[in-house]
Amino acid sequence: MTATPLLQAEHLVKEFPVSGTGGLLSRGDTFRAVDDVSLTVAAGETVALVGESGSGKSTTARLVARLLDPTSGTVRFDGQDVTGLTGRDLHAFRSEVQVVFQDPFSSLNPRHTVERIVTAPLTYQGRKPPGGSRAFTQSLMERVGLDPEQWQRHPAQFSGGQAQRIGIARALAVGPRLVVCDEAVSALDVSVQAQIINLLRMLQAEEGFSYLFIAHDLAVVRQIATRVAVMSGGRIVEEGPRDRVFGDSRHEYTRTLLAAVPRIRPEWEARRRARAAERAAADPVPTDATASVRRGA
Amino acid sequence: MTSTNGDPMQASFLEVRDLTVSFPTATGCVDVVSHLDLDLEPGGALGIVGESGSGKSLTSLAIMGLLPDKATRSGTVRLEGEDLTAMPESRLRRIRGDRIAMIFQDPLSSLNPYYTVGAQIEEAYRSHRRGVTRRQARRVAVEAMDRVHIKDAAQRIDHYPHQFSGGMRQRVMIAMALTTEPELLIADEPTTALDVTVQAQILALLQEIRRDTGTALVLITHDLAVVSEVTDHIVVMRAGECVERGPVESIFSDPQHPYTQALLDAVPRIDDEIGDLRSLTTTGGRP
Repeated sequence: MTATPLLQAEHLVKEFPVSGTGGLLSRGDTFRAVDDVSLTVAAGETVALVGESGSGKSTTARLVARLLDPTSGTVRFDGQDVTGLTGRDLHAFRSEVQVVFQDPFSSLNPRHTVERIVTAPLTYQGRKPPGGSRAFTQSLMERVGLDPEQWQRHPAQFSGGQAQRIGIARALAVGPRLVVCDEAVSALDVSVQAQIINLLRMLQAEEGFSYLFIAHDLAVVRQIATRVAVMSGGRIVEEGPRDRVFGDSRHEYTRTLLAAVPRIRPEWEARRRARAAERAAADPVPTDATASVRRGA
Repeated sequence: MTSTNGDPMQASFLEVRDLTVSFPTATGCVDVVSHLDLDLEPGGALGIVGESGSGKSLTSLAIMGLLPDKATRSGTVRLEGEDLTAMPESRLRRIRGDRIAMIFQDPLSSLNPYYTVGAQIEEAYRSHRRGVTRRQARRVAVEAMDRVHIKDAAQRIDHYPHQFSGGMRQRVMIAMALTTEPELLIADEPTTALDVTVQAQILALLQEIRRDTGTALVLITHDLAVVSEVTDHIVVMRAGECVERGPVESIFSDPQHPYTQALLDAVPRIDDEIGDLRSLTTTGGRP
């Protein structure tokens, strides 16, 4: 790689203390959730970290976002070692890296308005929202496809998909260069999920930031990733460009994982798509694609 | 009324007619399941798919007569011609767990952490088979655990739920359901909480059970790919109503209703990146 990667994690290890004694983990008193993980994310790309429960993918995401401190290893952002950052420097790092979580409702304060939620990352850093708090909130809401008139509402007044849009708006508020999506679309219904995936793709095209996309759903990853790293037992067992990992996986575990994904028969899909294309040709509906993607309507 | 399975003359094994479930709210009653018809032939596999709020899970509870007290139900649920909605609770209780068994999404919340899995399987069996000795019940439990491929069943039977993984617990639940050799198994999101490799094993197990025992299956799920692999007829639900029904192949290869079409468009596919963003965003509404 010629240019410095945006994010470079090297030999990350995270051990958690295990309470109680006996059982499978009695060998030591720690459990190694992440075991020597190295990972890079270049500017503008989407790296997916996939694996089953307990694979260490979410812990890795938290280490990279500095929500957890690694037991050992380093995280570099834009060439700078950010592993030991504290105080003001850590705040500066938080302007570069933001996280979107799985459950929008538990990650949004139910007592706060949208305005307070999306401006919170700036407030923490002692920054003022450019153009004033309300106008700033409304422009962010517009960008993620929410009705800007609803800036004073609370999370409970939104659906799950809309709440996730609030979470995305909050992540965008500081103008990050890396957005970590930790199972960000996993809890959503399939139609809503598709809309949020589209929104994430479109925002990336507009802003040029990178995603570290943590997911267990390989079909979702297929839609958004440029590179894929497969984790199992705290380690990355395979890493590569998306189509190579999906089409020509080298590791046995990756193949097992891919083979287990339930599929609609390709011949049914092909027939359905052919019919849909016929219908569309017979009755074309002109739409503003960008607006419809943003609003998901 | 025409049977969904094509032959209006053949009495279906499970026949649900005009099923409506409503809940009282501050502003009046709301129908969460509305005038639903279902048909299932003996040994058949029916998939009920829908997004959250479609009423699919309440449909299964309504079939079993397990709705919360404040819900009201109308319509009929006939099992081989016999109306389950018109029989006394004591009789219904004998049918539940005996002729109809149910498995749920979260096996841990359905298992008592203080009893061994064996004790729980034996109890489920003995509650439906009066006069069965402990020894007989234990033998049935070991056999059932064998059948769902829990290795070393004779030892594992004395373990507690927390000593099993999520997939193994779901196997325990299926074993429990199988002891009475039910004619109908209702599975409500049985693999949703499981990892994908474990899901594949549980789905294979359900198919194996159907093949070997002829048990009919109602599979309730939000996952279109899962129903496409496991069931032979599909009912697509939205907001309490059936929007489309038919054989699995026609639903997936030639869906007629715009909602079904949009839903299938939205399914992320492992073998292809959906390039046309518009195709993903036509389900309408503001999610």
